[in-house]
Amino acid sequence: MPVAWATLRRTWTMTGRAYPWSYAVGCLLTGILTIGLSYLALHAVGGGTVAADFTARTGGADYLGYIAIGAGAFMFTVRMLLWSSKALITEQRQGTLGALLVAPAGRLPYLLGFTGFALANTVVEVGLLGGFAALLGITLPACQPLAALAGVLALAFAVFALSVVLGALMIVAGEAHISQNTVFLAVSLLCGITFPNSYLPEPARLLAETLPVTSAMDVLRGALSHGAGLADLAPRLLTCLALGAGYLLLGLLVLPGAERRAIERSY
Amino acid sequence: MIRTHDLRKTFRVREKGLFGPRLEKTAVDGLDLLIPPGRVTGLLGLNGAGKTSTIKILATLLRPTSGTVTLDGLDLVEHAREARRRINLIAGGERMVYGKLTGAENLRYFGRLYDVPAPVLRRRTGELLDLVGLGHAADIPVERYSRGMAQRLSIARGLVNDPAYLLLDEPTLGLDAPIARDLRRVVADLATEGRGVLLTSHYLAEVEELCRHVYVIADGRHLAEGSPAELKAATGSHRAVRVTVTNPSPGLTDRITGFVRGIGAEPQLAPTADGGLLVTVHHPEDIAGPLAGAVVGAGGAIGGLEVTEASLEDAILALADGSAGPGTGAGTGPRAAPGPRSGAGAGAGPAAPTSAGTEVAA
Repeated sequence: MPVAWATLRRTWTMTGRAYPWSYAVGCLLTGILTIGLSYLALHAVGGGTVAADFTARTGGADYLGYIAIGAGAFMFTVRMLLWSSKALITEQRQGTLGALLVAPAGRLPYLLGFTGFALANTVVEVGLLGGFAALLGITLPACQPLAALAGVLALAFAVFALSVVLGALMIVAGEAHISQNTVFLAVSLLCGITFPNSYLPEPARLLAETLPVTSAMDVLRGALSHGAGLADLAPRLLTCLALGAGYLLLGLLVLPGAERRAIERSY
Repeated sequence: MIRTHDLRKTFRVREKGLFGPRLEKTAVDGLDLLIPPGRVTGLLGLNGAGKTSTIKILATLLRPTSGTVTLDGLDLVEHAREARRRINLIAGGERMVYGKLTGAENLRYFGRLYDVPAPVLRRRTGELLDLVGLGHAADIPVERYSRGMAQRLSIARGLVNDPAYLLLDEPTLGLDAPIARDLRRVVADLATEGRGVLLTSHYLAEVEELCRHVYVIADGRHLAEGSPAELKAATGSHRAVRVTVTNPSPGLTDRITGFVRGIGAEPQLAPTADGGLLVTVHHPEDIAGPLAGAVVGAGGAIGGLEVTEASLEDAILALADGSAGPGTGAGTGPRAAPGPRSGAGAGAGPAAPTSAGTEVAA
């Protein structure tokens, strides 16, 4: 994987020389505000208790823990997608896409290298958000570390697979904002980020099941909130991996055509 | 060598807006090209002639709609990845290097993309930076380079895989004259080393200096080919002789006009600011001596004599205008019927200028 490692090092070096502080602070603030406002709502409005139907749907009454896991996972998803899916369109914008495409290196190792960098970067940022949650006294009542690690890796794989498809769409469309924000909105509404998706109507729940982030969230919540082990979470873990593999395959299939289309657009 | 046969590329573009009807635009229309090793081959045409699309096809960035492209017998579409190891592209209009990385970091990264072994890459990085005169700036981020330095680094990037063929699309675009001259020297050396180079440039003097063989295209179609000298001769682009006569008179003017018409040319006569007469004659042969003799023989006094060689620019403009005279062998006019041509596949050596007999974009 020399190309993946070279890409990771290259991106690390470039980002170190121009770290996008505003992006990072914006994403961190979104997570902090989500947790902070939920904290205020729970204590100032809800009197510190949650509705019975929330407890019934989530299997617990720890609303802030639920929110903290959702906010952390959403920040992880957004940051990873922002880095990985925009890798190629960023190359296009800075005038290096042609130099990249004319080289014989495969695109998968390039994208893996980019995502490796994104993962290292995002873990640090989500860690900062976790620190803020801890300051508010939010804890994870029944954490299974191994299953939680599997959940994080599953989420990373799911986001990587989505980013390959999204990245292809971006270079064909020649724009990033509309496509990335559409995905962010869909993930935040459908995938059980800030509320259980059992609140959603049936068609929306079915749609949510087509996104691997939904099953990855189930794994994460099961491991972090309910103490579920790998054996209990295996079905959802496999669902996430299968869906992720499908998205990845789709992305790798459409990417060469998308790259040619991107070059044609500049003709 | 790189060889194309009946190469075509059609784009489907929307006439207007997101939902307008799709139109087919032909960028490359039946091109036969030959780019042998050890030679700089030129590809010329006006804007929109199809040069960049052709280069992008040869660089495997675009797929041809039909026709074939081979590189040393390897089909470029079927074996794109293998072909990419042997070619590289340098486009003057695009930066093609990372601004946040230093020159050396850029070369090392692109070297890894070409799977260049680490020890070779370390040595080659230094050599290439020295070759393009950036050894002193190896550890400076490219965003602090001048445009000329960044362009020279782009040339080095194009050589990082030691390509057998180099595709240069306007490599000196926007560069200062001394830097462009240095780059031309590098390009000439690359061909001398045995690499095949395809060059497109709007600077026709550059093409004239570097290219031993030039293809001229218009609307994606082959218009003419040959060495710059052959193209100039074939389009009737002649050297100009200008004589300034300090004591003009009607009788003298008549005698000069008679002499010029006698050698098969038509003089252009223009008064000068100090009351003299400027006589300009375009002719394929060197007539400076006879013309000066005729002026003096008719009683005229010569205040100045200037000979200007015909340029490739004149030839290309003549081809584009379809104004090449009959019998020149190239560009038989905008409405000429399609005629036979020797084609690029005829051989690697300089071919006689030929006519595709196409409609020429003015």
